[in-house]
Amino acid sequence: MTATMSPGTTPVMDRLISRTVQKHRPLSVHFDLTYRCNERCVHCYLDHDDHGELTTIECLKVLEDLARSGTLFLTFSGGEIFLRPDLYEILAAARRLHFDISLKSNALLVTPERAAKLREFGVRRVQISVYSDVPAIHDAITKVPGSLERTLAAIPVLLEHGLQVKLACPLMRENLMAYRGVMALAEKLGVPYILDLTITPMMDGSGGPLEHRASVSSLLPVLRDPALHGCKPQPTAQADSAMAALPPSLGSAVSSGIESAAYEDLPCSAGHNSCYISPYGDVFPCVQLPQAAGNLRREKFADIWYHAPKLERLRAIRESQLPICSHCEIRSYCERCPGLALMEGGDLLGAYERACALAEEKAGLAGVASPISALHLKQNACLIQTTHEGEFASHVANSSSD
Amino acid sequence: MSTPATMTWQKNPALAWREIDDETVIISPNDSVMHELNDTGSFLWKNIDGKKSAAELAQLLAENYEVTPDIALSDTQALLEEMSSRKLVVSAPAAGGVSP
Repeated sequence: MTATMSPGTTPVMDRLISRTVQKHRPLSVHFDLTYRCNERCVHCYLDHDDHGELTTIECLKVLEDLARSGTLFLTFSGGEIFLRPDLYEILAAARRLHFDISLKSNALLVTPERAAKLREFGVRRVQISVYSDVPAIHDAITKVPGSLERTLAAIPVLLEHGLQVKLACPLMRENLMAYRGVMALAEKLGVPYILDLTITPMMDGSGGPLEHRASVSSLLPVLRDPALHGCKPQPTAQADSAMAALPPSLGSAVSSGIESAAYEDLPCSAGHNSCYISPYGDVFPCVQLPQAAGNLRREKFADIWYHAPKLERLRAIRESQLPICSHCEIRSYCERCPGLALMEGGDLLGAYERACALAEEKAGLAGVASPISALHLKQNACLIQTTHEGEFASHVANSSSD
Repeated sequence: MSTPATMTWQKNPALAWREIDDETVIISPNDSVMHELNDTGSFLWKNIDGKKSAAELAQLLAENYEVTPDIALSDTQALLEEMSSRKLVVSAPAAGGVSP
């Protein structure tokens, strides 16, 4: 008998992910406290009106449920979380329950006093959206004049109070080539960053934000950029440690944001060891898979997590059994997201145009000759078949008229 | 062991941690390093409450696992030393107060 302790981030994280995926423990939860926001980002997928947010007491009850269920990594987000007047009360409860706490914020409302409070309540990391290092570009996306200046002013304040900061930069038409500036900014600040090519439809499925999505062809310079494959600008030991558990710089639609071999043959972590909770108490597998499995105002978290049919169905999905994608020869270049497959292609198990087009570009850049996705192969085959049938019909018609 | 068996221990209050299926994962917020405790380590961790000494923790361990008191004490002290060196636990002198 030996009581042992194994330190180190990556091996421990790998084992933790393996265990929680295998046993379906909700290791990582993304909890949006509000959809209200003080910015109006052009690509945002949220309805910013308040349709009845969970009360403080309801939020605290959710946190207790999550702690009992085994959640360790808890990300509070929004909307803008600082618009919740009870934020500190919620953070204090999360601290008492020993969560590892991260926040996502635009940082407009950060002050030294608020940064000190975040530190006091055990927040480890704050992820901040920065769309460009050029004010005109950033502010045009947020629709708030002066927002970049205020956001950037908050970063050193957070760092000075011992919080880790990470920059997140979704790339879209308006800021596609601004990523170099954001990378340089991150390097200058000594913080990690993530660039994200994912622009999603609204949560109700409407496609407004997709107008801002950069075309696949316009992404080529980004995909070709060798600087994006290393994620090297991590000059501090603290940032190095933080990055060990974080995804690479060029992100996409991975729900937990943590890569692991344990997800092999699974579409992603959603519903396996991670989920999303809306400000109204709806439990989704992921923020990008808005199919509510249940509501925390009516059911306990554990009852939803372990028994909701929608989650059980999701857990049964294996990539090797997907009807189209399992036959795809360029699958290893694909970052298929089941949520986007549902929202954009209408089928949780299906292929969708954006992922296929991106995979083809990536495969081509990697040297694959004439890469073509299984979806496009199938579409081509259907086209040929349709053409043949059309020719046959035409021939019959001609024959009949003879 | 240099740590007296009578000294009491408490968890570092700044840590994030969770017991998941009899194993405990602990995260140090300052350096983001993760630590993992096996089932007996988790048992001890759960019982570290600022009031119990290494000897008392070892006694609980011996009562709940098939292990002799000597080995239980040796293992408990070794784990506490290790956790103390990593700032996961802090000792609390018998007179009260906490010494980091």
